[in-house]
Amino acid sequence: MGERKVTVTSEVGLHARPAATFVQTAAKAAFDVTVAKAGGKPVNAKSILSVLALDVRQNESIVIEAEGEGADELLDRLAEIASAP
Amino acid sequence: MGLTAVPDPVFSQLMVGPGTAIDPRREPGEAVAPIDGTIVKLHPHAFVVVGDDGRGVLVHLGIDTVQLKGEGFTLLAAEGDRVEAGRPVVAWDPAAVEAGGRSPVCPVVALDAAAGAVTAVAEGGVDVGDPLFQWS
Repeated sequence: MGERKVTVTSEVGLHARPAATFVQTAAKAAFDVTVAKAGGKPVNAKSILSVLALDVRQNESIVIEAEGEGADELLDRLAEIASAP
Repeated sequence: MGLTAVPDPVFSQLMVGPGTAIDPRREPGEAVAPIDGTIVKLHPHAFVVVGDDGRGVLVHLGIDTVQLKGEGFTLLAAEGDRVEAGRPVVAWDPAAVEAGGRSPVCPVVALDAAAGAVTAVAEGGVDVGDPLFQWS
């Protein structure tokens, strides 16, 4: 199981454009992708509803997990989106 | 007015999902719950109601209104509340948002809906309680 822990630096948190881009990217994967707040319950990273409800704010840390063919590349990409200012 | 006319590509390119948008009357008013369900997320400028079938609808009050940090918005409900369609959730003034240089247009989005799942989108004027679209 691959994972990335990143801090969300965008002023709006993981909402609006960052959230939509994050979910669209995760949804391309053939395997499951989850996202959680540090220490929290993982939710489906392919669901915009789940990601908006997770309500990640600026400066909060998240853990993204995935396992499968190409998971490392996808996790890198998702980490990049989530940590972009 | 349809999502494609919303002055924000996140909505106009359907990145959040399909739906429509309301160009509100420029007078103090109340944004209401679009469906029966539970308010799973409530910000001053946006909220999500999830129905018993698990489907969620996002209502976003104006564009870039997160920058207002709640100023000019009054919460009339709380996160976790069960609401019926038509129940007021946030009071605000679209005219004031527009006077501040932001669009008061309100996207109403079917979250996680497949493209094409939203049909019968209302056109022209709508009042509280009028159907906005069909989500099959």
